[in-house]
Amino acid sequence: MGCCYSDESETAEQDPDERKRLIPPPNPDSKPLNGTEWSAANVPSARTDEQALLTSILTKTAQNIIDVSAADSQGMEQHEYMDKARQYSTKLAVLSNTLPQKKAHLLSSLTSQPHQVLASDLVPYSDVQQVSKIAAYAYSAISQIKVDAKEELVVQFAIP
Amino acid sequence: MEATLEQHLDETMKNPAVVGVLVTDQQGHNLGCRGSLADEHGGVVSVLAKQAAALTRDPTDTPTVCLESDTGNILVRTHGTITVAVHKIAS
Repeated sequence: MGCCYSDESETAEQDPDERKRLIPPPNPDSKPLNGTEWSAANVPSARTDEQALLTSILTKTAQNIIDVSAADSQGMEQHEYMDKARQYSTKLAVLSNTLPQKKAHLLSSLTSQPHQVLASDLVPYSDVQQVSKIAAYAYSAISQIKVDAKEELVVQFAIP
Repeated sequence: MEATLEQHLDETMKNPAVVGVLVTDQQGHNLGCRGSLADEHGGVVSVLAKQAAALTRDPTDTPTVCLESDTGNILVRTHGTITVAVHKIAS
């Protein structure tokens, strides 16, 4: 259905808990939606066809909406929070002892006297010029290597 | 056809300070080598020269890469489509 490895026919094998709501739907009596009171008593009076349709759409939407802010949040008490934090840090400490420490691979230091190395004599410019000349000669020598076409590459078979 | 190049490499080696010379193409393929520089150095030499050339915007400003050590220097220079490396020892 658009993504890899998904199939409409696989619904039977799915975990039944997969589609269960994570947040329990808010109790409609105790949580008013957008400040308006919803109760069954308001609905039957003064009902036209249009009104009925509208109200049915609204009730359906209200049932399907998951209001995250209105859901009851389970707050943790301070001591529970501290307990959990302590538990996790001890677990981490145990794990970090067993896991091998990954050292950052730094560049090896070549010398303890960098200023001395940097201030030492430069490569002689005559050498640089010499290499430049060698490269130029080599390039002209290479240019002599070329394709020497002696025969046709494509020939026709003699068809009688 | 490669006789001229081979002769040029031999002449370069006649210099007493030169102990190795290597010529590669732009892909690091060895076109000729002598002495201390061999086939396996072709890749490194061509890549060093290419990366050094990327340091400047000016295409006519070809750099010469120098690898300096206590025993000697290896100088690498590109000319056109080939890269030449020369290993000189301190004399």
